[in-house]
Amino acid sequence: MHNRLMTVMVTAGLLLAAALPVAAHHSFSAEYDSNQPVKVTGTVTRVDWQNPHIWFFVDVKDAQGKVTNWGFSGGPPGVLQRRGINRDALKAGDVVVVEGFRARDGSNNASGGKVTFPDGRSVFTASNEDKAPR
Amino acid sequence: MSRTQTTVGMCAIVLAVAAIAIVSAQSKPAGQIPRLADGKPDFTGMWDNPKEPGSRAPATVFDKAKMAPFVPGGEALFYEPRTGDPRHDEPRAFCMPSGFPSAFLGPYPVQFIQTPQHLVMATEFMNVTRIIPLDGRPHKTDIEPTFYGEPVGRWEGDTLVIEGRNYKRWSLDDWYYQNPKEYRMHSEAFHSIERLRRVDADTISYEFTVDDPKIFTKPWSVQWEMKRHPEWEKTGLFEMVCNENNRCEGGKCKDSK
Repeated sequence: MHNRLMTVMVTAGLLLAAALPVAAHHSFSAEYDSNQPVKVTGTVTRVDWQNPHIWFFVDVKDAQGKVTNWGFSGGPPGVLQRRGINRDALKAGDVVVVEGFRARDGSNNASGGKVTFPDGRSVFTASNEDKAPR
Repeated sequence: MSRTQTTVGMCAIVLAVAAIAIVSAQSKPAGQIPRLADGKPDFTGMWDNPKEPGSRAPATVFDKAKMAPFVPGGEALFYEPRTGDPRHDEPRAFCMPSGFPSAFLGPYPVQFIQTPQHLVMATEFMNVTRIIPLDGRPHKTDIEPTFYGEPVGRWEGDTLVIEGRNYKRWSLDDWYYQNPKEYRMHSEAFHSIERLRRVDADTISYEFTVDDPKIFTKPWSVQWEMKRHPEWEKTGLFEMVCNENNRCEGGKCKDSK
């Protein structure tokens, strides 16, 4: 149960009730578990600005100092670019809070519909990535 | 009533009549829509995906209440049970084709390019393109069915009617149908009928009819509309290659490093 010790809040219920289904190239439920909301704080290590969804990776440290790298799926690059969001929106070294829903395989991957910086700025909040917690 | 008052009153009436005339002229959108040299309405442009009229959400779930009754055995053909095998349950998660109309219902722009002979309907989603002849030619009878079928267009006045046949049995669902037990499919008898009418410079009225005699007793329709987005013409459609980095296909994620 290492995951419970991490700075990860898995809080089913309210978040789920507020979730809006917005799709991309697949049915959300095929890949992510809407009963497993995820919220982490960490440091961006890499951004893959690729189709069909961008992916970004975040190092998350638990209470014991153990670091786990999480992968988050964002919107499709074209959809984001059309809204003026380009690959510079998120860079390695950025500290972010990410909210999403965990991958069905239980790995440290999730949809990452909402990203918030320490100064309160948000990116991808209206993203077309799957279910964005609101 | 003084002469001044009368003059003011007359002016007000004239202005009111003029205003009514202007409003009336503006409410005749048919005269304002772009047309090709042959006089046909020109659908060329960048359009948002079809939505329910007045809706901003990409809500295009086929509402059961709008569907026709099933023929005997049709219900079993329509509802495909999910089995737990993601390749069966959601082949689109493996970058398989979405089929029609599903591929055009996602949150991606659709570009129309029209000539007197063809309408090209291209969506950014996986760069799916339909090349639709507009001469009302008969559908082919000797071809294999396909995911996107064989669309043929014809004009009924200013309405473009597109009939599609020769579809492979495939999902009818858009991406928003989340029932965990089953999803919904059309048969190879699926016959799609689209009726597109440009109601003003920025709006296409889009009626979509499902005719599938192996499943339904009669055709049934939903009403959508498409809104023009000229600002998207600056960039055009972006490339969208589904297999480039489909990290969690079917719910199994690849290692990040």
